[in-house]
Amino acid sequence: MIQRECGVLKTTYEADMGLYPLPIARWTVAAIAVLFFLVIPLTLHEYFLSVANLVWIAIIGALGLNILVGYTGQVSIGHGAFMSVGAYTAANLANRLGSPWPVNLLAGGLMAALIGAIVGIPSLRIKGLYLAIATLAGQLIIEWTINHVTFISGGVQASIEVARPRLGPWILSSQREMYYFLLVFVVLAIIGVMNLMRTRVGRAFIAIRDQDIAAEIIGINIFRYKLLAFAISSFYAGVTGVLYTYFLGIANYEQFQIGVSIDYLAMIIIGGLGSVLGSIFGAIFVTLLPIVIRYSMEAFGGIFFSQQTVLNLIPNLRLMLFGALIIFFLIVEPEGLNRLWRNIRSYFRVWPFAY
Amino acid sequence: MRAILAITTALMLAAGSLLTATPSNAQSKGEIVIGVQCDRTGPTQIVGTVLCPGFHDYVALVNSKGGVEGYTIKALEIDHEYKVPPGIEAYERHKKEGAVTMAVYGTPHIYAMAAKLTEDRIPGTSPGFGSAAAADGIRYPYIFPIAATYWSQGTAAVDFVKKQLGGSLKGKKIAYLFYDNPAGREPIEVLEDLATREGFQLKTFAVPPPGVEMGAQVLDIAQRFKADFVIGHLFGGAPSVSIKELKRVGYPLRKFVSFVWGAGEANIEGAGGFAAAEGYYCMQFAGVGTDYPVLNEIREMYKKQGKPAPKEMASTVFYNRGVLIGALHVEAIRNAVKAKGSGKITGEDAKKGFEKISNFTLGGLVPPLKITNTDHEGGGLVQIWQVKDGKFVKVTDWYAAYQDVVAKHIKEAGAKK
Amino acid sequence: MSEDLGFFFLLMSNGLLIGLMYSLIALGFVLVYKATDAINFAQGEFVMIAGFVAAGVLMVWGAPLWLAVLLAIGSLVAFGFVLERVMLRKLIGRPVIAVVMATIGLASILRGLGPFTIFSGTKPLPLPIRDEPFMLGPLFIPPIQILGAGVSLAFLAGFGWFFLRSRKGIAMRAVADNQQVAMAMGIDVERYFGVAWAMTGMVSALGGILWGNLLGVDVNLALVGFKVFPVVILGGLDSIPGAIIGGLIVGVVENIAAGYVDPLVGGGTKDFAPYVLMILALMIRPYGIFGKRIIERV
Repeated sequence: MIQRECGVLKTTYEADMGLYPLPIARWTVAAIAVLFFLVIPLTLHEYFLSVANLVWIAIIGALGLNILVGYTGQVSIGHGAFMSVGAYTAANLANRLGSPWPVNLLAGGLMAALIGAIVGIPSLRIKGLYLAIATLAGQLIIEWTINHVTFISGGVQASIEVARPRLGPWILSSQREMYYFLLVFVVLAIIGVMNLMRTRVGRAFIAIRDQDIAAEIIGINIFRYKLLAFAISSFYAGVTGVLYTYFLGIANYEQFQIGVSIDYLAMIIIGGLGSVLGSIFGAIFVTLLPIVIRYSMEAFGGIFFSQQTVLNLIPNLRLMLFGALIIFFLIVEPEGLNRLWRNIRSYFRVWPFAY
Repeated sequence: MRAILAITTALMLAAGSLLTATPSNAQSKGEIVIGVQCDRTGPTQIVGTVLCPGFHDYVALVNSKGGVEGYTIKALEIDHEYKVPPGIEAYERHKKEGAVTMAVYGTPHIYAMAAKLTEDRIPGTSPGFGSAAAADGIRYPYIFPIAATYWSQGTAAVDFVKKQLGGSLKGKKIAYLFYDNPAGREPIEVLEDLATREGFQLKTFAVPPPGVEMGAQVLDIAQRFKADFVIGHLFGGAPSVSIKELKRVGYPLRKFVSFVWGAGEANIEGAGGFAAAEGYYCMQFAGVGTDYPVLNEIREMYKKQGKPAPKEMASTVFYNRGVLIGALHVEAIRNAVKAKGSGKITGEDAKKGFEKISNFTLGGLVPPLKITNTDHEGGGLVQIWQVKDGKFVKVTDWYAAYQDVVAKHIKEAGAKK
Repeated sequence: MSEDLGFFFLLMSNGLLIGLMYSLIALGFVLVYKATDAINFAQGEFVMIAGFVAAGVLMVWGAPLWLAVLLAIGSLVAFGFVLERVMLRKLIGRPVIAVVMATIGLASILRGLGPFTIFSGTKPLPLPIRDEPFMLGPLFIPPIQILGAGVSLAFLAGFGWFFLRSRKGIAMRAVADNQQVAMAMGIDVERYFGVAWAMTGMVSALGGILWGNLLGVDVNLALVGFKVFPVVILGGLDSIPGAIIGGLIVGVVENIAAGYVDPLVGGGTKDFAPYVLMILALMIRPYGIFGKRIIERV
């Protein structure tokens, strides 16, 4: 991902498709692992870890959406709803059957995958904006169902409290414990997507994205693979929803409404479609941007305005800046932060000689 | 390319330095922090932009008078745009700054923070929103509704309707016009109970989000169901729409009573102003109007600083609610500091402080709540006000009704878990 | 006439009239899509900002209504031109989703801009018409909805003439049909993109004033944007009569759902019934009722 190389010599396809493009990559990955598993959680204050936790959750969700949008070329504005499917499945299982969290996690993912595949059925006939709106309809219908069917929602308040996940005798509740809990799944999610895209299934997805008719001609069953893309993407969403539920200790569908779906779409578009690193960058960017803007306003705003004015200014300015930065990045680098990162890398690779 | 590079590097550096630069250190001696979540942006901003200044003004007033037993109160506000993840971030930030109480804002938010508040032992308030079952102080030790919950609002509304319709509801028709989300649906079970008890016919009319139009529902109420009275429970811009639509089908507004979030000046303004909403009844959990001693003191404070009183004060419903929330937080802290004697107070102390609040009325702006360790709602008191001659006029004093029904439902909710 | 039947007609008339008010917002969306293939997720925010301008001029400055209307239209038209120049022109040739995202970003900017620069809180937008309905037999006809329906139909007629008869309109149709060929024929494509956005601005300005009167002006006014999608999908994304018909269908379906389905299921089906209908329609006619038959199905 971030290593430097001084030339490429690959003699087999296997080498070209390897997860580690260079031997040194193993060291980079090891260094990153040490940083995230040891240095960060053991040195930073819980507050920063809570922010990191929000980022971890966002990363898993964004990776899932990127499978569908970035790799397979379908559009979905229903990602938030699939999360709520996962969340309520897990919460109901936990409270009614008392099943342990790994079971709930898997069940939540699978249920979301099933619902996702159903919502994805229109993709067999329509695409582009029409598909986007069809998935938006899916989002609204799922929200409505959860809101009105008390069997699912557990009562009119539509919120189900869930006990914290436990690992043997150890109950995970503090932000630091959650950090490790979530980080494990982030790693699994990243490895999952990276490997998926090296398989027959992943290549079929990419083929459908690039030219669906050609893909069909070379023998890819579009029907099956499109639904599979919806299912896998929704599985990720469902898992995200379950993790979010355990993170908060409650399942509540109002936390997965249309705005959430749009936020996830923003993450992958800003980060870079069809790229793992892009999903990660996008998730970090969209989660941290408002926080960073607020910190800078708090730091510098007081110089120019009175305290009360600052309080009124910050939120609106943050909204405007958020929108402006999205547009800025779209105009400057349509392929997202991932591309920007690669440009920076190649710039430094040959630095100080520009060409 | 180079320009972009320069900009991005600069941005990243700035971001990095800001994140590592720890903001002002927590709770220096003599300072007590309250975490205030606010929504000055997002769908309910018409409330937040007025409510939060009320909170801050009250805190400023307390500080200008020497603070609480020598401690200065610091109200740290973070805007969350009515989204949950920023709310969580705000909570954790406040915790880091050492907040002993949290003024949470938003029903999804109080749900999201329920587990954390209990684990971290910091009391959080959900005045006029959130789960009605949270009034149970045993089951939710760290959540304080501190104002009438939707269940209490529902029972109070039925009681009011009963009085308006001549003391008996037998055979009457009451329509419940509600926003179709969990908060809107919450009172239905209580209303249904009362319908069997009082013998009236209840029919519910859902207004699904986004609630920009409710012609069909209102036509149904006025023309098919022919309701004797309407109880409304809407949010955001929807209350304004309901006023307009009811007028449009010729239904008299004096047969309509709104829950607390359809009761602000902004809702009336949105419907075309006070003249257009003549007769509209609404429920309040804080006093309305400018004529309270505490508000005079706030104006006085601004005058002393040589500044005009903030324009938010003109929007008295939400501003006064902000003052109420601020006052109850400060009062809880005051009780806690007094009980503790010396040393820093913790969230647990503040919880006990909340549970000691009783007969703290600020000259009528705050209802005579009695919060105990079992009842975190404080009695479910509301007032009914009416739009009359271009302003809100008080119709009833603080009252609560059918509290046995509310208690029954709280008990049932507790048993379910 | 029996009471039930009377109520049915009430619902229908209400649905048709409110449907035309939806069409007004959908028209702005369709105009842009037709001419530039751009999908505007900020349509609701366009309407909102127009409402802010009009209510600001009217209530904050205390200026007369005609000036408010004029300024709202003027500023939105200018805004459309500028927007096309600084943002959308740079996104030409980019994937659809990039434009979608850019307009979502724009929506965020506008939601901050209105309360930030014009006023915070809610303001009414009074028009010199009364609230009380006209009675037409058993039917209630609210004046504001008549006005809204009139404006919608006037736009339909106006755009109909514009696209079929005027030179500019024909050029715009050419641009919409095939940009390359239009360019080859000497049509200044970019200029017509600007014109399309300006026209959207004009429609949105009137939509903002009428809906602002209905809802009051604050950020929640932008929520009417959610009504656009079923309308345009049902009618066809690129069809102006389609926007009108789609609006009528959505209006009627909503009212029927609220009147006859809600009592059965005990919840509000009004706002998602059009979406269900829309999915069914998509399966049968993916290009909408009046949409261009470019069969983008798979």
